Amino acid sequence: MILHVNHIPAKQTSLAAGVASTLVTTAGEGQVQPEILENLNVHLDWLQYKTNFREAIALRRAMRGDETLPWIEVGIDLRQVQQESLRTEFCVALNDTMDPAVCSRKRVYLEPFSPIRTGIIWRFNLLFWQHLPLWEKAVGQGFEKALPGGTSDANHPEAVADSVADFWQLCKNLEDQKQLPQEIFSLEIGVGTGQRAAAWLDRFRTLDREKGTGYYPRIRFLLADYSMATLNKAMEAVREHRELASFLSVDALDPFKSLSFLRYKILSIHLTNVYDNLPTDEIVVRDGKMYFVEARAYVPAATAVRISEAFGISPADFVRTVNRMLEVGPQHLHHTNVEQGVTFWRSVWDAIRLEERYIAIQSILDAPLPAGVRPALLENFVGEHVIDQRFHLSSGALESFVNTVPLLHPRGNLQVQDIFVTKLQDYGKLFRGPGKMDGSIVNWVNGALLAEVGAQTGYDVHFAPFTYRQGSRTSTLYTTHRE
Amino acid sequence: MSLPILPTTVVGSYSMPGWLERLKTEYFARRISRQELDEIHDAAVKAAVKDQEVCGLDIVTDGELRRDNMIDYFAERLPGVQTDHTSKKFYYDFYDSVVRGKLPMASLRLADDFRFLAAFTERSTKFCVTGPHSLVKRIKDEYYKNEEAFAMDLARVMNMELKELARAGARYIQIDEPYYSGFPEDLSWGVKVLNALVDGVDAKIALHVCYGNRYGKPSWAGNYKYLFPTILEAKVQQLTLEFARRGGEDLELFKEFPNKFELGVGVIDVKTHEVETPEIVAERIRKALNFVPAERLLILPDCGCLHLPQEVAFNKLRAMVQGTKIIRKELGA
Repeated sequence: MILHVNHIPAKQTSLAAGVASTLVTTAGEGQVQPEILENLNVHLDWLQYKTNFREAIALRRAMRGDETLPWIEVGIDLRQVQQESLRTEFCVALNDTMDPAVCSRKRVYLEPFSPIRTGIIWRFNLLFWQHLPLWEKAVGQGFEKALPGGTSDANHPEAVADSVADFWQLCKNLEDQKQLPQEIFSLEIGVGTGQRAAAWLDRFRTLDREKGTGYYPRIRFLLADYSMATLNKAMEAVREHRELASFLSVDALDPFKSLSFLRYKILSIHLTNVYDNLPTDEIVVRDGKMYFVEARAYVPAATAVRISEAFGISPADFVRTVNRMLEVGPQHLHHTNVEQGVTFWRSVWDAIRLEERYIAIQSILDAPLPAGVRPALLENFVGEHVIDQRFHLSSGALESFVNTVPLLHPRGNLQVQDIFVTKLQDYGKLFRGPGKMDGSIVNWVNGALLAEVGAQTGYDVHFAPFTYRQGSRTSTLYTTHRE
Repeated sequence: MSLPILPTTVVGSYSMPGWLERLKTEYFARRISRQELDEIHDAAVKAAVKDQEVCGLDIVTDGELRRDNMIDYFAERLPGVQTDHTSKKFYYDFYDSVVRGKLPMASLRLADDFRFLAAFTERSTKFCVTGPHSLVKRIKDEYYKNEEAFAMDLARVMNMELKELARAGARYIQIDEPYYSGFPEDLSWGVKVLNALVDGVDAKIALHVCYGNRYGKPSWAGNYKYLFPTILEAKVQQLTLEFARRGGEDLELFKEFPNKFELGVGVIDVKTHEVETPEIVAERIRKALNFVPAERLLILPDCGCLHLPQEVAFNKLRAMVQGTKIIRKELGA
């Protein structure tokens, strides 16, 4: 057995020591079969997100084609694990490994194994944004309250003021060079409550009047989101600037599809907390060999029975009812009681976990990369020195990036506020998701990989810490033109 | 070799295959030798020439597949320019290069690459050379008093090279000066330098000016108004400009400023993978014919096809040839 201690929070060293001691004792007392023990890798983690998709003890097997490889990985979340039941749960989990049928009886699977980005959890994520008002009504607060600090960093007045000042200067420089377009396009993708757009336009109008430059009436501010509920809310927020604002239904994965008529015309594109909510896959490196992560969502069988009984359906109808909810929305799940449908939705979401397995691949080139990313140029992204690592492919963020930058004016800038991992080695220091943020999904974004892809597309990608809120984990990605 | 009316050609580069990008980068990682890379380039150039022939182009190039980019191919060869060969990891990046003294006269051996091209095709050929104005924007100068002086000395050295190309049989030589569009204030001296570059060169000279194609995206915005009337002083026979992506509004300039230039009209947008239909190409040519007579018109993409996937580049060029044939038929040619 090899024990990997990936992260120990400062105040939890005794817990980590206790867990390690229990594991070693359990193994030493012969409670683990020798053929398992010699192939066993145990990873002690601390999951940042209190609500996530993992159980305290999670078992993962690796496959090469149809063959199950002998090594076994067990992930233990120090945050969830109970010291007193650890020994029993650890042994049960390992025994289940030898008999998958036993494991299957303990879980109600919602889907077969598939790449994470195509899994059912992303349909739940979509449901959240489509039916946001229902969720917010049920929890009694707006979704931004779930964010650290209770509000989006996008709305921070000083950050907005600095963004406006930079943009005004860009306009001025272009005007001095007689290159400022008559219509000045600015795009925000993922508009939240619309507060940032409103604050940005307020500030820009004020600055423009102070400077007497006359840019404000030439602004064409595009608010883009795939949620009509969100766009409606944003429309109300920017009502003072209604004549300059347009509201567009846009898929953040492919803004170019909806906005191709603005190719190379937009001077500023901004996104906040969008990339962390886009589908992603994950890659695992173990002993220098690379694996692609597949997952299938499940609900513990006992929980599925409890939810079914509360909703008045047969447990046998549980999976069908979940799928029906994802198709028609929670409000149509029950004939007369919308609240009950929303309660069912929240209960299922709260209970969903992911069972993972690793699929052996030769290199990152074998992983499904988004169209527009040239895999040949990424083959050295994971250096030969990396022997143990797990990281996001950030598939959705990469796809969004390569489908956004063609909208940028030759002098335009892209700015993204989000949670980025800017060096690959930093993935080993902390669990980076997926976590649950209210009814949506949150993942850190692989900034190191984004920088590689940015260079392919002619943009140098930089990261700056978001200094406007103390303790913020947000950083700001910004692009400069690569010569 | 006689050309049909509305001759078709490329601006210079053909699609850079992904495998060649990887092999070029392998060279910088010292995993393949210079000799191996040269042999790979030879094979790639032959394939690019064949693709252009099958597409039906009247004038072909070597696809510029030997070049890492439009600067380094020349910076490495220019006598007196020092390049730091450790300064890039990816082939497409620019070397850090610097000039610290007066440029000596010596050959860049461009004619060797031209002869290779000419040996493998029966078609008319074109050889493209990055102009001094663009080169001085990327090569650091620690000797000359200003950019104009540096560029003028580059022109002196490269003039000899262009004459060597002509002696080797190059009938069509294209000078690429995309940086004009980024620095329109330089145009006055840029044209003087251009004229020094092509002085006495016995070949048809084209000048290509676009809005940049680095990484397959434009580097600058604007329009071609800045070129006129200064560009009328250029001692070249042909201008090749981009019109497909930007629309044909600037064609009006050819009415506003009468001139004797041939116009290489860009009818293929190289910044999108969407393949134009022959009908779209034909329509773009018809529009150009409103401003320039057919006998002074050449048909090209907006810029190099470097960043297009091979299949896309091939299909775009084939559509360009087919669209041109539609117009030739309409003209009774």
